[in-house]
Amino acid sequence: MTKVVFYPGCVMPTEQYAYEMSIREVMPKVGIELVDVKGFSCCGTPLKSVNQMVTLTLSARNLALAEQEGHDIFAPCSICHLGLSEAKHVLDDDRSMKERINTFLADENLEYKGTSKLYHTVDLLHDVVTVDAIIKAVKTPLKDMKIATHYGCHLIRPSEIGRPDDAENPQKMETILKALGGQPVYYPEKLDCCGGLLTANLPESALTKTGQKLQRVQEQGFDVFVDACPWCHRQFDAKQQQAAKTVGGEIAMPVLYLTQLLGIAMGIKKEKLGVQLNQSPVEKIQVGGT
Amino acid sequence: MSIVDLTSMGEQQKDLKKEIHERLEKLKDESAEYCYQCAKCTSGCEAHKLLELEPHEIIALLKRGLIDEMINSDIIWTCMSCFKCRERCPQKVAPVEVLFALKNMVVASGKQIPGNYTAWLQSVLTIGLLQDVKEVTTKDNKTVKRADLGLPELSKPVDPSKFQMMLSKIAVEKV
Amino acid sequence: MAKKIGVFICYCGENIASKVDVKELATYAETLDDVVVSQTYKYMCSEGGATLIKETIKKHQLDGVVIASCSPRMHEQTFRGVVQEGGLNPFTLEIANIREHCSWIHDDKKVATEKAKKIVAGAVAKARLLESLETPKIQVKPGAVVIGGGIAGIQASLDLAEAGQQVYLVEKSPTIGGRMAQLDKTFPTLDCSGCILTPKMKDVANHPNIKLLTYAEVTGIEGTVGNYTVKVKKKARYVDFETCKGCGDCAVACRLHDRITSEFDMGMGKRSAIYLPFPQAVPPKYTIDKDTCLMLTRGKCGTGPLCVEACPENAIDFKQQDEEISLEVGALIVATGYDVLDPTQLYEYGYAESQDVITSMEMERLINSSGPTDGKIVQPSTGENPKSVTYILCVGSRDQTECSWCCRIGCMSALKQIYLIKEKLGDDIEINICYTDIRSFGKGYEEFYRNIRGMNVNFFRGRPSEVRPGEKQLTIDIYDTTTSKLFEISTDLVVLVPALVPRDDADAFAKMLRISQSADRFLLEAHPKLRPMDTFTTGIFIAGSCQGPKDIQDSVSHASGAAARALNILSKKEYETEPFISVVEEDLCSGCSTCIAACPYDAISLVEQKEGNAVARVDETLCMGCGACVVVCPSGAMQQKGFKDKQLRAIINACVE
Repeated sequence: MTKVVFYPGCVMPTEQYAYEMSIREVMPKVGIELVDVKGFSCCGTPLKSVNQMVTLTLSARNLALAEQEGHDIFAPCSICHLGLSEAKHVLDDDRSMKERINTFLADENLEYKGTSKLYHTVDLLHDVVTVDAIIKAVKTPLKDMKIATHYGCHLIRPSEIGRPDDAENPQKMETILKALGGQPVYYPEKLDCCGGLLTANLPESALTKTGQKLQRVQEQGFDVFVDACPWCHRQFDAKQQQAAKTVGGEIAMPVLYLTQLLGIAMGIKKEKLGVQLNQSPVEKIQVGGT
Repeated sequence: MSIVDLTSMGEQQKDLKKEIHERLEKLKDESAEYCYQCAKCTSGCEAHKLLELEPHEIIALLKRGLIDEMINSDIIWTCMSCFKCRERCPQKVAPVEVLFALKNMVVASGKQIPGNYTAWLQSVLTIGLLQDVKEVTTKDNKTVKRADLGLPELSKPVDPSKFQMMLSKIAVEKV
Repeated sequence: MAKKIGVFICYCGENIASKVDVKELATYAETLDDVVVSQTYKYMCSEGGATLIKETIKKHQLDGVVIASCSPRMHEQTFRGVVQEGGLNPFTLEIANIREHCSWIHDDKKVATEKAKKIVAGAVAKARLLESLETPKIQVKPGAVVIGGGIAGIQASLDLAEAGQQVYLVEKSPTIGGRMAQLDKTFPTLDCSGCILTPKMKDVANHPNIKLLTYAEVTGIEGTVGNYTVKVKKKARYVDFETCKGCGDCAVACRLHDRITSEFDMGMGKRSAIYLPFPQAVPPKYTIDKDTCLMLTRGKCGTGPLCVEACPENAIDFKQQDEEISLEVGALIVATGYDVLDPTQLYEYGYAESQDVITSMEMERLINSSGPTDGKIVQPSTGENPKSVTYILCVGSRDQTECSWCCRIGCMSALKQIYLIKEKLGDDIEINICYTDIRSFGKGYEEFYRNIRGMNVNFFRGRPSEVRPGEKQLTIDIYDTTTSKLFEISTDLVVLVPALVPRDDADAFAKMLRISQSADRFLLEAHPKLRPMDTFTTGIFIAGSCQGPKDIQDSVSHASGAAARALNILSKKEYETEPFISVVEEDLCSGCSTCIAACPYDAISLVEQKEGNAVARVDETLCMGCGACVVVCPSGAMQQKGFKDKQLRAIINACVE
């Protein structure tokens, strides 16, 4: 079992419970032991528009706290993952900035050292668990389901600081989904943004972005839409009907977290994966047990 | 020797421009001076079609030192930080980062900021997270909270007052 | 040894004098041991300065000269000539750089003057120990090897051959012609590329002084200027060169007819395993591709190779072997050309996702009437004429994340293709061009651009972020900075004008020839303004796009220039090189051979002495004066003339006193 420190962020543990449930179900079964740590806070990334120093310090703080366990860190939320990665990028490179931030962290007896690697769900599954192990864990393959993958923005950009997958042609989710028996298909809108961060001040515009993407995916005959970030999923799943209204159309697209679909293929009961919490019409998906 | 903006009578603010550039450098971003206005960023901007944000224009105004015009506008708050501009720019300029800098300047000047940001900041200061545990509805209309789902205790700052103090100190730090 | 040294200090106008007190420096110089006179002058490099130096040498019977001035890279050669005219050995001159190393980098006049004094003291210390040196003369072998048979290589070969030199033109592919042979028409005159190229190709083939070695590669090089030995591998064509009449029956009969991707057609067309790259190939001899031919890869071709059956001359010979030859020449010209960036790595432009996104080189093959579609411009997915074509310029060019440089010909080649498309498909065809700048810099280029502006072409100033392949068409969003509007273009065919890059093997090739590359990996010129065809390796010259992308006329000029530069050497019987070569003090040499391993020019060998021990000996004609052997020599037996350890120590001691 590979141990990783589990850094849940804010939105997942307080609202997007299905993501956390499916992660906690699936990961141990593919050899990942999640280590929970007390004392985490928000990563600060949604506050970047307000005060970048706060963001940098909050991310560094959580990295420092996680590092203390001596394992690599797993941040399943793409927003958190980018914030933490950006903090690493600046602090690992600039000694004086690191020292500066550490003087603040000292107030809580924390020190950022940069000793742990950082993972997201996508690269944790693809690079650490590996596709071979996933194939072995499949019990109820997906039967050629036509899948639209949504990587989102923060997971794959900006590539300059190193991201879990390629910025222009990310394929790790596709590789995993193919191993599950699914049929992920390219679509031109694949890299379009969910609009999630605009919820802060322009919620209707955010819903327009969400609705526009879902409409296009629906038009192209996809069976399911898969994402791996609570901000994205909240838009596409929880707010699907609001989004549909905003763009003036009918949308009925099943939206699942990557880990939920993975769990279904592994034969895990849907209830354990939080599928009952999905607001989109996931009952359309005919695979796996109840 | 003088350069006067006859269109909007804006004043060039060399010191603010310098401040933004220093901040970009500190955070390891490329200088905006290298932009040659190819507008690839705007062509691919997720916020352009819907909200008319023009990242290349933000950079052009920055180069010209016309910062106030941007700080006083609503347009800078339309960026969705999708990072496509930074990813695709052939000169490695990052309009998204310039926009963060501008937004930070608005906040630092005490002006009112749009939307939920203030509420989010408040929440982080008090409980360490953007929001507290919420009730959600299942497909068959049951309401559940975190504790009902067999999930372990929520991870929050152990000593909220220490955390708050540290946060308040940083809030006044310049980059 | 008591010397009589003269120190000459240059004001260099204001360049030195503004930060260094020249008069004070002169006074100081005269206080140094062995300095009998010091002079100052406004511009030492001028006629007046030269006269001053020569007269002073005579008047004071000097036997050593120190000139305190700008960097030796500027005027060392000139000053050596002046000193020689003054009657002294040119290598008894030492330059003290008080400009680049002093006045140009310090603000404080006091500090700069003190530093200048130290620099002069160091130069005088070395001058005391300088010895007269003779420049070795190398016997120049006549003849040159030209590597690469594109227009640059062809031009250089013809110029050298016409001047009476024997030329070996070595070309990697089965035919000469290069990129120019792939083009349809050339800008700005719209000359048919093949029509202006093929006469030159024929001239090369027929010229008595040119030996054409096609399907051959340079595999190694030894020697130095005037005396190169070039190893060439003539690859087996598996077709008898003399017997083959170029009739082409073999290619038609080939079992793999039309199944192999044609490199000449940039992947847009197919060929057989036995092939002629294009109809006007020179030499018009067929070649079997050993990587695809069934006989050569599997040992059998069905019931028997069909080419053999078809050939009326019995020219096929599967037993042919590669042949290694050695050529002895005095100089080389490298004209190996360029490659086109593969836009697959710019995934957002859809090149990998859609057949209907092509490069401008691929479009050129479609336009060319001897191309894969006989000149019909088609949308690859349908095979039909497109109704709308959109050009995107600067794909991967002027891009800090891909190729930082401008490809120079992208704008003009796009405008040229647009003209030809309109000509072929009529005015109704919609043509869009997304550009960042239109660089129409050459003679006749602006006029050409103006013509295209008048031809109902949609110019969008901006760079698209993505090309989206759709069900029926490709969609491009482009922000046009001229109108400040976002446009959505739905188009049938997208043509990307990609960056031009050095060939894949440029690094290995440059290493083999011992020439340098610039940061962009193109071959490095000795000086971008004044010596654009020279390399830092004397005797090896570069021509054409291997030095950096350029259009045909610039390639031709560059090539003729390289030929002239080569003739500077080849027209002489003897060539004077620099005397700063290594020499072994045999009494101190233990024969450890560390220097032999360090020498990149194989100039050192171990020589048996009468006493039974062995010592190292430097071949003066091969030594290039790099100094590596001096550095590694553990005993100090290896010294470099003009830079001996005792001379260098003298400078250091004088400076730190």
